[in-house]
Amino acid sequence: MTRSTVQQAVTGEPGIRPPWQVAAEQPRPDTPGLDWFAGRQAAARARIVQSGLPEPAEEDWRYTSLASFARRWGEYLSAPAGAVVPEAGDPAPGRLPVGGHGVTVNIVNGVLRSLPVDGGAGLTIRSLGQLTADLRGRAENLLLKTDKTTPDKLVDLNTALLGDAILIATEPGCSPPEALHVRLKAGTARLLSQPRLLVDLAPDSQLTLILEHTGGSGALVNAVSQMSLGRGSQLNLIRVQTLPDDGMLLDTTDMELAESASLTVTSVDLGGQLCRQTIAVRLAGPGASATVNGVFLADGKRHIDNHTRLLHQAPGTTSREFFRGIADGHGRGVFNGKIIVMPGAAGSNAALTNRNLLLAPTAEIDTKPELEIYVDDVRCSHGATTGQLDPNALFYLRSRGLDPAIAREVLTSAFLREGLSGIVIPELRLRLEAQLQARLGGEPASKEPGATK
Amino acid sequence: MDTTPLLQVTGLRVAVGGKEILTGLDLCVRAGEVHAIMGPNGSGKSTLAHVLSGRDGYEVTAGSANYRGQDLLAMPPEERARAGVFLGFQYPIEIPGVSNVYLLRSALNARRAARGEGEIDAVGFLRLVREKARLMQMDESFLQRGVNEGFSGGEKKRNEVFQMAVLEPLLAILDETDSGLDIDALKVVANGVNSLRAADRAFVLITHYQRLLDYIRPDYVHVLAGGRIVRTGDRTLALDLEAGGYDQMLPAAST
Repeated sequence: MTRSTVQQAVTGEPGIRPPWQVAAEQPRPDTPGLDWFAGRQAAARARIVQSGLPEPAEEDWRYTSLASFARRWGEYLSAPAGAVVPEAGDPAPGRLPVGGHGVTVNIVNGVLRSLPVDGGAGLTIRSLGQLTADLRGRAENLLLKTDKTTPDKLVDLNTALLGDAILIATEPGCSPPEALHVRLKAGTARLLSQPRLLVDLAPDSQLTLILEHTGGSGALVNAVSQMSLGRGSQLNLIRVQTLPDDGMLLDTTDMELAESASLTVTSVDLGGQLCRQTIAVRLAGPGASATVNGVFLADGKRHIDNHTRLLHQAPGTTSREFFRGIADGHGRGVFNGKIIVMPGAAGSNAALTNRNLLLAPTAEIDTKPELEIYVDDVRCSHGATTGQLDPNALFYLRSRGLDPAIAREVLTSAFLREGLSGIVIPELRLRLEAQLQARLGGEPASKEPGATK
Repeated sequence: MDTTPLLQVTGLRVAVGGKEILTGLDLCVRAGEVHAIMGPNGSGKSTLAHVLSGRDGYEVTAGSANYRGQDLLAMPPEERARAGVFLGFQYPIEIPGVSNVYLLRSALNARRAARGEGEIDAVGFLRLVREKARLMQMDESFLQRGVNEGFSGGEKKRNEVFQMAVLEPLLAILDETDSGLDIDALKVVANGVNSLRAADRAFVLITHYQRLLDYIRPDYVHVLAGGRIVRTGDRTLALDLEAGGYDQMLPAAST
């Protein structure tokens, strides 16, 4: 079978140029404070004019075609939306409650729109144009980090058309008491939103960061986040995607952990039409550890593709990964999790699990856990299952009087809900549980798991 | 007092995968009674519990089971539960992501709906659950945890009896609820059962060992062997079994 390329799909008619070429030639507004970045940007622009978007012929993209993404982008470019304007309903700048917990930052179409009055002790949130010399050094280091790894078309695209990036940085030893909630909103303006986040944790600092992808109808996003965890630092990252049913999101998160740094990721994909995320974690310092958990619900016509790559580079590093997904209706879920243990990573320990529920014959799940091990002294395990509900659990609930249809809903919803247990912000977990219950039925969102009233 | 049997099993034959396990079982249980069914491994004890609770995979080839005048075997599992039949599982299932309290409330409301009663109010439910948790010496914190999630074997069994205490069934079938319990847990479980003994309620205790019957005094003891009941007596029969083993009870032809 031959697969048409993204380029062919978009430019089937002669004379139509692919959107990445059109976009690359548009004049870029000068962003103050970004001059040092110009050379890098020009190089990225030259590359994407040539290479365009990832093609289905590439092994990492065999399940996900970006033809519809490119087509929408082309439409948006041919009918320019004009300048980005603040949209109705945007929360005013300032300190915003996340259900009474934490501080909120709003980034609309990649542009920082509101800052908390006070990010908390030792926490800085700035646009690239607002950086002091010291912070600029940290931002530069982070931007360079991706260049050291494999060139990536989506990162290139983001870099090439970059208008701004937002740096979130902690001071050594600092632990802001509250969670930082970054709302990445793709506005209803018909444009490709390209948020770029740089998160730099100084040694021995701690941060709980909620990254929430939201947007209006027709949202089209290519997000890139780069994070560096300094020695002994701890990051609890909660990534939530609740785009509207026609939203499209490409999301690349690249993370590097120094010695004894500790990372916990909880990734939740409940929305969108097309969502592809790549999480790359490099355990670069001895004793670094990462827990990467994910939940996705590919119902309706949703296409949700999760690629993760955990690279053990240093001795004594640990990774734990557990992704769970449901596909229903005409939905399609993809999980590709790769663990690579490099020659220098003796004494490392890795475990990868993917469990999926397939609820309809028209739905599809493709799962591929992979291990590449280049050293002897390691403990690694991986496994993936795709199946139906456990008949024993179903019988147990029925034997207690629950209607079979209800019992099925309860178990289905519980399967994903269990993956939310790592979300330490009760208000956020409650909101996501309520969304699951609205879509799948089952147990109503609970106030306080682990506690009685 | 009404002497119509709560449960009347007649000539029940059940096959699993083409192999006959129950070979013509008769059992009559009246309200207010406690029956113990004992027997060696493979005699069909668990098959009896499963077929009475409606689990899939059991083929009834002959005989009947009537519950309060209804054909029990024709009812799906959830209808049996709503009509007041409770099965205490030999191996209770862990269901992470579904809280114990949600399961209990759903089960109780299903039972109440079948009786034409409305849903229990939050205050009444909490009072009931707390009272029964105290009875079973269970910490209330477990209510918000997943069903049986991370419970020890003994805690799971205790949770089964706790569920029974909340649901107040008319017929409780406890499948080896005593196995795997230490002596303290056994006493708690027995205490839970004894506290529920009532004129309108009956128990069928399926057990391998006589030990449980030191704490729950049965009205009848049946010996199940080769798929049917071969001896019936009072509680002294259990003591005889303990002393002489099952072999003495078995018909010579079947050994």
